[in-house]
Amino acid sequence: MSGFVRFITRRVISIIPMVLLIVLINFFIIHLAPGNPAQIISGLEQPSQEVIKALEHRYGLDKPLVVQLGIYFKNALKGDLGYSYIYSEPVITLIKERIGATLLLTLTSAVLAFISGTLLAAWSSRYKKGILDSILSILSYVLYAMPSFWLALILILIFSSNLRWFPTAGMFNVRLSLHGFSRFGDILYHLFLPVLTLTLIQIPVYFRVTRSSIFQVSRDEYILTMTAAGLERKKIFNKYVLKNAILPSVTIFGLTLGYAITGSALVEIVFAWPGMGRLMLDAVFKRDYNLLLGIYFVLAVCICIAILLTDVFYAILDPRIRYK
Amino acid sequence: MSFMRLKNVDISYKLENTSVRAVRSFSCDIERGDIVGIVGESGSGKSTLALGIMRLLPPNASLSAETMLFDGRNILSFNQDELRKIRWKEISVVFQKAMNALSPVHKIFTQMYDVIIAHSPDTSKGKAYKMLTELFSKVNLPSKVLNMYPHELSGGMMQRVMITMSLIHNPKMIIFDEVTTALDVITQGQLLDEINRLVREFGLTAIIITHDIGVVNEVCNKVAVMYAGELLEFGKVKDVIFSPMHPYTKALVKSHPDLRIGNELIKGIPGSLPDLTDPPGGCIFYPRCDVRLDLCKSVKPEVSVLGDRIVKCHRIQR
Repeated sequence: MSGFVRFITRRVISIIPMVLLIVLINFFIIHLAPGNPAQIISGLEQPSQEVIKALEHRYGLDKPLVVQLGIYFKNALKGDLGYSYIYSEPVITLIKERIGATLLLTLTSAVLAFISGTLLAAWSSRYKKGILDSILSILSYVLYAMPSFWLALILILIFSSNLRWFPTAGMFNVRLSLHGFSRFGDILYHLFLPVLTLTLIQIPVYFRVTRSSIFQVSRDEYILTMTAAGLERKKIFNKYVLKNAILPSVTIFGLTLGYAITGSALVEIVFAWPGMGRLMLDAVFKRDYNLLLGIYFVLAVCICIAILLTDVFYAILDPRIRYK
Repeated sequence: MSFMRLKNVDISYKLENTSVRAVRSFSCDIERGDIVGIVGESGSGKSTLALGIMRLLPPNASLSAETMLFDGRNILSFNQDELRKIRWKEISVVFQKAMNALSPVHKIFTQMYDVIIAHSPDTSKGKAYKMLTELFSKVNLPSKVLNMYPHELSGGMMQRVMITMSLIHNPKMIIFDEVTTALDVITQGQLLDEINRLVREFGLTAIIITHDIGVVNEVCNKVAVMYAGELLEFGKVKDVIFSPMHPYTKALVKSHPDLRIGNELIKGIPGSLPDLTDPPGGCIFYPRCDVRLDLCKSVKPEVSVLGDRIVKCHRIQR
């Protein structure tokens, strides 16, 4: 097992240069984009050259890019991601306030989508080419093609506006100051629709991949061996087919986990979920360079960790993958 | 009564808009204790026949036969549950591609144990471990293999694992489907010796599918020569291999190098297998036969039974 520990240590260390490189690329891409934060900070339609100059000087935006980058890195290494121009608050504070809400949303939906997509595929593949299988296949195409924000709006329309079962927006009821278990329940109540949206959007990928993987594995030699050996079909399916067929889904889980953290932005906005999505879009529109870089930095770290976790999980499932 | 009696076994695979008649009117009797080699080139229907006997054909295959008796029972009429009960308990198979014959993500012991409890559900893990260790020692495998995964073993080791697995429930018959094909000659030799010994030790009846006449010569007492889905010659090894009667058998024997003779030219058989979606009307070997008659083109030869020998050729009948 020491090889495994060494592998993880090395992978964790390799995250550092990777994240630095990502920050570097992001820094230049953001500055390449047209628009000037000084103009937005001034709050004026057509600010005079003097105002722009003064603001640029105040925020250090008049220095050469490379110098700005140097300053950014120097501060970032000290754990200071700078101040947001718009919110006039440390970027770290802004992100800290929101990342929990985003992770709660994305992780819950990613795990639910993985489990339900896989189970649906297992269930549906038993009736290959039957009515149920066909309906699920068509449904998965429809959901796959559906824009998440649109699905979110429709779900709000049905479950909030018409049926009045769930709240339309927010993470908790601001008018009640709940504590302990009832606060937890309130968050779950608010969480339901956004999680449902994100889960429904992600299920098709797992469903389709697992389904075709099950069909492929069912034709493998060892399944023939097990049938020849007189094992019961149910046991062969539940033990041998499923474990082998689930492997590609695990890879996808890692990939979508990274994507899910950013991809949930639109859904967060529709449900007014106090997560990073809204913060990120605001930062893009208002050219809040520091905030944007900070968010990207955190996302890069999240994605790297997600991929690392996937690799570890994969190694546990598939003995052919051994890390040295 | 023969131990296994096959009469007019037909197997065909349905494809998009045709069907391939992979095995046609195959008949032969296998006695208890026989070690029957089935030889033929690739595509002659040997493995299909083996799968047919086990009733393990894929869903697009259809099997029909006049008789398919195994140990006095008609396996043709068995339902899935009855089949499940005789599989491995009475007939087991060792498949061709040993490397893929076990699940890559489960340990060998886990899989072997599942095979054990499929037929004797009360076996404890400890007892199973002891029994498997004992079986492993018979094929020169260390017991630590039980705690390994298939990819950690070599081809020869995997094939030994599969042979051990086929012996678990002490079956009456084992089908060895090209077990030595993917192995190097040294391992092939060792494995054949082991099979030879085990078959006798366990008092098994065996079918050995191969395209290597050398293997037949070494292990079998009877041999069935198949060509393009038909049985062309069947009989004792010493008769069929050393004085072949069918032109195909003669050609097959000639295409096998003989170590005792120095510089003899190895002769291949010109031509290739006929299209089995539409097999020719006359003798199946007609297009490649060098002693063919006009009659052979249009009239199917009858099976001639000469004592315990079967030959399907017009030249024998006259």
